[in-house]
Amino acid sequence: MILYDYVLSASCYKVRLMAALLGTPLTLRAVNFHPGREHKSPEMLALNPKGTLPILTDGDTVLTDSADILRHLTADHPEWRSTDDDRWLAFASALNASLGLARLHDVIGYDADIDKARAAGVAALRTLEAHLTEQRFDGLIFLTGSKPTIADIACFPNIALAPDGGVSLDPYPSVRLWMRAIRSLPGFIEMPGIHRLHELAHPV
Amino acid sequence: MNAAIDNHWYPVAMISGIDAPRETLLLGKKISLGRDGGACWVKDATGTELPTVERFGHLWTSPGQPNRDLFTIPEADSPGRRLVDVGSVKVKCSPLRAVENFLDIAHFPFVHTDILGAEPHTEVDRYDVKIREEVDEVWATKVKFYQPQAAKSAAGGITTEYMYRVPAPTCSVLYKTCPPRPGEWDIITLFVQPLTDEWCEVWPWMALYDDDSTMSEMVSFQQLIFMQDRSILENQLPRKLPLDPGMEVPTQADMTSVAYRRWLKKIGYTYGAQLVAA
Amino acid sequence: MDWIAVGLKEDVPPGFVIPSRIADTELAVWCSPSGTYHAWSDRCPHRGMRLSHGFVRGETLACIYHGWQYNEAGSCHYIPAHPKLTPPDTICVPTYRCIEAGGVIWVSLTETDTPLPALGGRRTVRSLPVSMSAPDLAAHFGAAGFTTIAVVSDHDVLLAVQPCTDGECMIHALAAPDADRSAVSHWLEDLRATLERVPA
Repeated sequence: MILYDYVLSASCYKVRLMAALLGTPLTLRAVNFHPGREHKSPEMLALNPKGTLPILTDGDTVLTDSADILRHLTADHPEWRSTDDDRWLAFASALNASLGLARLHDVIGYDADIDKARAAGVAALRTLEAHLTEQRFDGLIFLTGSKPTIADIACFPNIALAPDGGVSLDPYPSVRLWMRAIRSLPGFIEMPGIHRLHELAHPV
Repeated sequence: MNAAIDNHWYPVAMISGIDAPRETLLLGKKISLGRDGGACWVKDATGTELPTVERFGHLWTSPGQPNRDLFTIPEADSPGRRLVDVGSVKVKCSPLRAVENFLDIAHFPFVHTDILGAEPHTEVDRYDVKIREEVDEVWATKVKFYQPQAAKSAAGGITTEYMYRVPAPTCSVLYKTCPPRPGEWDIITLFVQPLTDEWCEVWPWMALYDDDSTMSEMVSFQQLIFMQDRSILENQLPRKLPLDPGMEVPTQADMTSVAYRRWLKKIGYTYGAQLVAA
Repeated sequence: MDWIAVGLKEDVPPGFVIPSRIADTELAVWCSPSGTYHAWSDRCPHRGMRLSHGFVRGETLACIYHGWQYNEAGSCHYIPAHPKLTPPDTICVPTYRCIEAGGVIWVSLTETDTPLPALGGRRTVRSLPVSMSAPDLAAHFGAAGFTTIAVVSDHDVLLAVQPCTDGECMIHALAAPDADRSAVSHWLEDLRATLERVPA
């Protein structure tokens, strides 16, 4: 499988993270999204007329939606699926227009109604916090149960990167514990803006 | 008007990225820039043209009367190097904090884990630092550090040697062991545009020997590194760089930053600096 | 200002550090692996990095920037760039009084003889941010102060209010031990919606 990848993209990171957690090898092809706008080049448009990333190719299959890619990667991994996933995959997609847009605005200068994007991001964080708090009342830490699914992996990047777009994560304790649980998963990989857990490395 | 601040050259755009005219900020003031045919222009808020220099793939300007030419990097002109436009990243911190972080190696194991550093290889050996009075630049030499993946072109862990140069208050040039060509230096720069005293746009640029990586891979590598730094830079308190001792505690590993702060004070460069302990 | 709630015990398990604040004082609140709670100035003395972004390793809090480790007294005891160096005693982080009681983490920024607020045997439910200042919130309930506010409701709710900024506070909510926490959580969401509709 080949992932056409941009290192700073939250959506590409969903795919890299899912593959790492599954132990599935990916061949990465770096795409110069910024400043090169290479995702709009004729070669990339031939692969994905929408001109977006990520793009995953697996043989003749070409997938350009990150939720579809997560489903594809976990096709043979039912332990990463739940019947509640779809709701959260839609929630994750909507984050691109709030927290994701605020981040692109603050980091690389995308045009945006920044106050509106951040306000929508705060509303999304409150929704997520309320749900995760309910889960914790039932002794569950992840979005759909006691184990992570593609729902968690889809939501994690834009949530964890919210501070890049000027949205604080400080007031959301259940979100913080959930992020910690994801960062603690075997095989977890970080991306810039999300530090790995240094707690256990090389105790002095 | 403060000559010690205004009479420097500042990066304001990547030349290959200038299409339509646009506005930006320099030292808290609006400027506009664009290109007529081949030549780039920059104007201040009153429409007055400001001086320009096109160098290192970037457009430079000055709101004052620079009393010397923009610095050069002669090594970057040698044949076989690939010149990498990395693009820009905006950061909510003092431009001086961004430069100081670039001069620091002790954070590599914790911020650029398994790339530019890794525990337990955390020790920073003594290196040489001086302010070269004849050129009025800060230099650090014989800086050595163990790096798991020093560059996109590095195959495994190596002890990398660095030289740091601060040729202008908001710019730094790093000369670094070149994995495929021992004996040559890779050149990695950090050009910082002070949007305001607590907000900057950072334009990294590189001149590398690397015949294998794609341009996109080299851009990605440097963006990865700088975005790891960004999450630190936006969380330092205060946002401005304290120039007076007492507010922060340096150690021997911080000799470059100590010299940088001393030099800024000497030349009166106070934009983005905190002079009195809060 | 005496004791202020800055978080709930179950939200800060051993080995965890969180950012918090009492008005303009920014805090790193952490729990050591042995279960002791600490509230420190959220600033590493080395380069000003927020310690709340750091990590707990052994009985120390380490800064994410350069890995400097601070012992439970707030003194720097290890600098990774100079592993053989014994750091001078002068490198230390300002610390505040911090006690966990009744499932709530309480901080006092000054020395105080004031006893901890009585919680009446209630149990903690959750914390949530409200876009309203702490004094305005107290005024809304006609309370004299905001340290704790008892609210007449089906759930015997007690709100411990943490002042954050001029327009933000955190509510740490407790309720009767047999209250349905999910029901209280929904009640709190509704309360927040009501409070945030009140014109400033």
